[in-house]
Amino acid sequence: MLAFIIRRIGQSILVLLIVGLVAFSMFRFVGDPIDNMLGQERTIEDVERLRTQLGLDQPFPVQYYRFLEGAAQGNFGVSYRQGRPVSEILLERAPATLELAAVSGMLAIVFGIALGVFTAIRRNGATANIIMATSLIGVSLPTFLIGILLIYLFSVELGWLPSFGRGETVQIGESWTTGFLTISGLKALILPSITLGLYQMTLIMRLVRSEMLEVLRQDYIRFARARGLTDRVVNFRHALKNTMVPVVTVIGLQLGAIIAFAIITETVFQWPGVGLLFINAIQFVDIPVMAAYLMLISVMFVGINLIVDILYVFIDPRLRVDRTGAH
Amino acid sequence: MPKLTYAVALSVAVSSPVMAAEFQWAGKTDPQTMDPHAVSSAPVLGFLNNVYDGLVRMSKDMEVEPSLAESWEPIGAGEGWRFTLRQGVTFHDGATFDADDVLFSYERASDESSDVRSWFSPVTEVKVVDDYTVEFYTNAPNPLFPASIANWMMMDRGWAEANNATRPDKESGNFATLNVNGTGAFKLEDRQPGLSTTLVPNESWWDNAEHNITKATFTPIQNPATAVAALLSGDVDFVEPVPIQDAARLEADPNINVIRGIETRTIMLGFAHEADTLKYGASAGQPNPFQDVRVREAVAKAINVDAILRTIWRGSAEPASQLVTPALSGFSEVNAARPAFDIEGAKALLAEAGYADGFGFGLKCPNDRYPNDEAVCQAITAMLAQVGIQVELDAMPVSNYWPELRADNFDMYLLGWSPGGSLDHEHPLRFLASTPNEEKRLGSWNFGGYSNARLDEALPSILSEIDPDKRQALIDEVTGIYQDEVAYVPLYVQPLVWGTRSNIQLTQRPDNFFMLRWVTVN
Amino acid sequence: MAETSIPLSTKEHDKGRWQRFRESDFFYAFKRSPVAIVSFAVVALLVLAAVFAPLIAPTNPFDPASLNLMNGFTPPMEPNAFTQESFLMGTDDQGRDVFSTILYGMRISLFVGISAVLFAMVLGIVLGLVSGYFGGWTETIIMRIADVQLTFPSILVAMLIFGVAKGFTPVEYRDQMAIWVLILAIGLSDWVQFARVVRGATLVEKSKDYVAAARLIGRSPWAIMIRHILPNAMSPVLVIATISLALAIIAEATLSFLGVGAPPTQPSLGTLIRIGQGFLFSGEWWILFFPACTLLGLALSVNLLGDWLRDALNPRLR
Repeated sequence: MLAFIIRRIGQSILVLLIVGLVAFSMFRFVGDPIDNMLGQERTIEDVERLRTQLGLDQPFPVQYYRFLEGAAQGNFGVSYRQGRPVSEILLERAPATLELAAVSGMLAIVFGIALGVFTAIRRNGATANIIMATSLIGVSLPTFLIGILLIYLFSVELGWLPSFGRGETVQIGESWTTGFLTISGLKALILPSITLGLYQMTLIMRLVRSEMLEVLRQDYIRFARARGLTDRVVNFRHALKNTMVPVVTVIGLQLGAIIAFAIITETVFQWPGVGLLFINAIQFVDIPVMAAYLMLISVMFVGINLIVDILYVFIDPRLRVDRTGAH
Repeated sequence: MPKLTYAVALSVAVSSPVMAAEFQWAGKTDPQTMDPHAVSSAPVLGFLNNVYDGLVRMSKDMEVEPSLAESWEPIGAGEGWRFTLRQGVTFHDGATFDADDVLFSYERASDESSDVRSWFSPVTEVKVVDDYTVEFYTNAPNPLFPASIANWMMMDRGWAEANNATRPDKESGNFATLNVNGTGAFKLEDRQPGLSTTLVPNESWWDNAEHNITKATFTPIQNPATAVAALLSGDVDFVEPVPIQDAARLEADPNINVIRGIETRTIMLGFAHEADTLKYGASAGQPNPFQDVRVREAVAKAINVDAILRTIWRGSAEPASQLVTPALSGFSEVNAARPAFDIEGAKALLAEAGYADGFGFGLKCPNDRYPNDEAVCQAITAMLAQVGIQVELDAMPVSNYWPELRADNFDMYLLGWSPGGSLDHEHPLRFLASTPNEEKRLGSWNFGGYSNARLDEALPSILSEIDPDKRQALIDEVTGIYQDEVAYVPLYVQPLVWGTRSNIQLTQRPDNFFMLRWVTVN
Repeated sequence: MAETSIPLSTKEHDKGRWQRFRESDFFYAFKRSPVAIVSFAVVALLVLAAVFAPLIAPTNPFDPASLNLMNGFTPPMEPNAFTQESFLMGTDDQGRDVFSTILYGMRISLFVGISAVLFAMVLGIVLGLVSGYFGGWTETIIMRIADVQLTFPSILVAMLIFGVAKGFTPVEYRDQMAIWVLILAIGLSDWVQFARVVRGATLVEKSKDYVAAARLIGRSPWAIMIRHILPNAMSPVLVIATISLALAIIAEATLSFLGVGAPPTQPSLGTLIRIGQGFLFSGEWWILFFPACTLLGLALSVNLLGDWLRDALNPRLR
C-alpha cells in the first residue's frame, strides 16, 4: 500500500518535470519578450544587454534548470511585465479564479444533478427530452461566443448585470479578496460563472442520467419498489446514492478543467484571475508568469489525479487504477 | 476593516453645475510600470503624465507650453538650452521641487537602465546654475530639444534615494515600479497591476485644476467588444480606443458621445530593399522584384487606399502621403499628394519591369499591434492579386512579429510609426529612412535596409538647422527623394476614436494621451 | 413499411449487407427516432454542402483576386451602395460573400474535426490495445503519458503545439501548417478517452477463454487484438468518436478565438465567428449570425446523433 503511494507520488513528480520541460522548450516560440520591454527608440545594444540580464541568451535546458532551482525554493522569478515577484502576482489573482471556479462548479453540480435525476426519472417525458436537447446547445457553441452573447443580452440590451470585472471586492485577511460580500460582486459573478459552468453542467447532467438509468434497472431497486417504498425514497435514497461514485470522480477531474477553461471566460469578461494573467503573459511573452502558471495548473491536475487514485485504492483495493471521464 | 478596492461609477443627478464626481475609464493596455523612465511606451507615458510633470508639456493642440519650467531660452548660438524652473512646486509627499531634482531626473533618465535615454543622446552636459536654473548643453544646435523632452518626467531625488529607486529597474522592479511621487495633478491612491489603478486629485498642485474629479479609476479591458459593452451599459464613463466599427452604433446612443480625431501614427508598407531573392510565396528563391523601383511604384498604385478607408475604416481615417501626418511639424506640404489608385498603371509598370505575369511573395503583418492591421493586410492581398501579384499573407501576434522583422524574414511588411519624442518629421527620417548604422544609432527600424546617400547627408543638417524655412526646404527635398524611390508605401493615418458617456467632457490630444486634468463630469 | 414486419431473419447470412443493416435493430431504432432522422439529415446536408462547396457557392472567397473591398459590409439581400451587387447572406469586412465563405469555411472545420478525431481514434485504439493487452511497463508508461495529457488542458496543449510547430516548420509551409497543427493539437488532446475505453474492454476480453484459445493456436497478438478484442470495444469507440467530432469542431472555434487557428485568408467556421464577434455591436449582425448558426446546427446535430447512438448501441437501455 505504502509502496504504491510512494511509487505514484514519484511518477507524479516525474510528470511535473516533463510538463515543465515541454513548456520551457516552447517558450522561445511564443515570441521575444525584449521587444515588449523596450520602447521604439531602443538600440541593438540595449536589446542584447537586456537579453543577457534576463538569461535569455542561455540554452533552454539551462533556463529550465534555473527555473526549477528557484521554484524548489518557492521563488518563481520576477514578472517581465510587472516587475514584481510572480508568486505575489499569482496569490493576488488566485482568489478571483478560485471563486469563479467554485461558483461555476456549484452551479454545474447542483443543476447537473437535479436535471440529470429529473431526465432519468421522466425518461420519456416531453420536458425531459426538451431539457436533454437544449442542454446540448450549451456544448454546441464555443464558450467565448456564449459569453459574448450573454453580455450582449444581459448587460447591453437589458442592462441587468455588469459587463466585465469582479465588481466591488472586500479584503479578507492578508491575501484574500472576495466578491461574495457585496451586491455588485455577486452580480458580477453571474454571467461568467454561467458561461464557465455550462459545459460541466451538461456533462454532469448526462452522466447522472445515464448512471441513474443504469441503477434504476437493477434488481435491488425493483425489490425496493416491490417493498412499497415511495418513488422519492427509491429515487433519491437508493438510486441517486449509488450513482454518486462515478459522478464524484468526474466532478473531481472537471474541477481542473474548469480552472483551465477559465482562461477563455476570464478573457471575455475581463475577470481579473490567473487565466487572464496567463493570456496577458502570452501576449507579452512574460516567461516567468507563463512558467509558474503552467506549473501551478500541472501541480493541481496531477494532485487531483493522485488523490483520486489513492482514494480508489482505499475504497476498494481490488480496483485496478482505472477511471473514465475527463478530457 | 473591509477595504473597497473597486468602486462603481456614480451616475447621480445633482443640480449644482460643477459637481465633484468619480470617474471610471478603460483602455486596452495597462501601463506596465509607474516608473516614468523605465518604459518608453505610449500607455505608460500617457498614464504617467497625469501624476508626473515634465519641464515642459504639450497643450491641448500639441503646442509646447511651460510646465515645471516657467521659461526657456537658447544658450549662445545654439550651444544648448537654459530652463528657468517654477518656484513653490512640491511633490506629492511634500518635498520641494528644485534644480537638483532636474539633475537627478536627468541622471536617472539618461542611465543605461533607462528606456528613454535616447532623448538625451544630443545632451553633452547638464549644469545646475542655481536652485531654479538649469542648463542643458547639446553637441549641435538642437531647436527641437524642448519639445523632445515633453514626456521626460521629474522625480524627487530624496524620495528615490530613500526608497532605493535611484535607477529604473525593468528586470526586477523597484519601489518606483508600483509607487508614485510626482508633482502632477493627480496622486496615485491604489495600484493593482493589470486590474485597476486609482488616482485622486493632488490638492496642492501648482496649476489651476480644470477638472472636477474626486477619484478616477482605470481598468484595462483587452477584449474590445467587452469594453464597448461596458461603455454601453454605463459600467465605465470613458473607453479608448473604440473599435472603429462600433463608433456608429455608439454615436446613435443618446447616452454616449464619440470623439474622433487623427492620431500621429502613420501606417505604411515596407520592402526588403536589400534582399537579393524573395523568401516566401510562389516565387521564393527568385530575384527580388522589389529592388526595382517600378515594382514598388506598381504596388503603391495597385492599392486602393480609398476603398480601405471607406470600408475597413468607415471613412474615419486619412490617406497618408509621407512618413508623418499633416498635424506634425516638418510635414512636407509640397509632397502632400499620394500616388493615385491606378490598376492599369500598376500593370504597365510591372510589365515594363519584366513582371507582366506577376509574381508571388510573402507579406508579414501583425494581428494585434495596430487597429484593423490584419484586415488591412487582407485587403492589400486582394488588391495586389488584381494586378497579378500573389501575396502569401502571414499575420502573427506582435511578440512574434518584431523578431521576424529583425531576422529579415520578410519580403514586404506592415509598419506603423508614431514619432514619439520630438513629434517631428526628423524622427521617422532618423529611424526609418536613414541607412541602418548602429554606431550612429540611425535607421534602427529600417528593417528593409533602404539607403539613399543624399538623405543620409542631409539628415544632420535637418537636425541642427535653426532657421525653420531652411530646415523645411531640406525636409521637402528628402521627402521627395524617399517618395520618388518608394522607400515605403504610406497608406493612411490612424484615426483616434474615443467613446464617453454623454455627461463627460474631455479633450482628445492627437498623441492619444488621455489627460484626466481636462475631464469634466456633468 | 413492409420490411419492418419481417421478423429478424434466421437466415442472416443469406442476405446482403445492406439488407441485413436495414433489418437490424439499429436501423429500426433509427427509423423510430425523429430526432435521429432530423439530425442525421442536417449533418448529411451540411457535409454535402461542404463537399460540393465549389459547385454551390456563388463565389470563391479563398481567391483574393475575386474580392472587391467595396462590397464590404453589404447587408443580406440588399444591393451594395457602390457596386449594386447583392448577396444572400451579405458580405463581411473584406467584401467576401458570407454564404460562400461559410460553405468553404465548413470544409475546413469538418476536415479539421474529422481528421483530428480519426487521428485521436487510431492513436487511442492502438495505445489502448497495447497497454491493455501487454500490461506491465508498457501499460504504466502509456497511462502516465495519458496523465500528462490530461494534466494539460486541451486548449493549452493546442497552444503549445502551435507554438512549437511554428518554430519548426520551414517558413514557406507556414500557411498550410495551421490546419495540420490544429488537427494534431486537437487529436492529441483527445486520444486519452479512446485509449481508456479500449484498454478497459481489452482487460475484460483478455481473460476470456476464446482469447486464450486463440493464443494457444498461435495467433499473433496483433491479430488477436484486432480481430477479436477490438470489435468488442467498437460501440463505445463510435459513440466517443461522434461526441468528439462535435467537440473538435468547437475546439477549433475556441482556438481561433485565442488566435491559434485557421488563417483569416482561408477562414474556418471558428475563424469566421471570431471575426464576426467584432461586429456584434456595430449592427453587422449577419457576419456573426450565419456562421454561428451553421456551427450550432452542425455541432448540435452531431451531438444529438452521438446521444442517440449511445442509447441505440447500449442494448440494456432500450
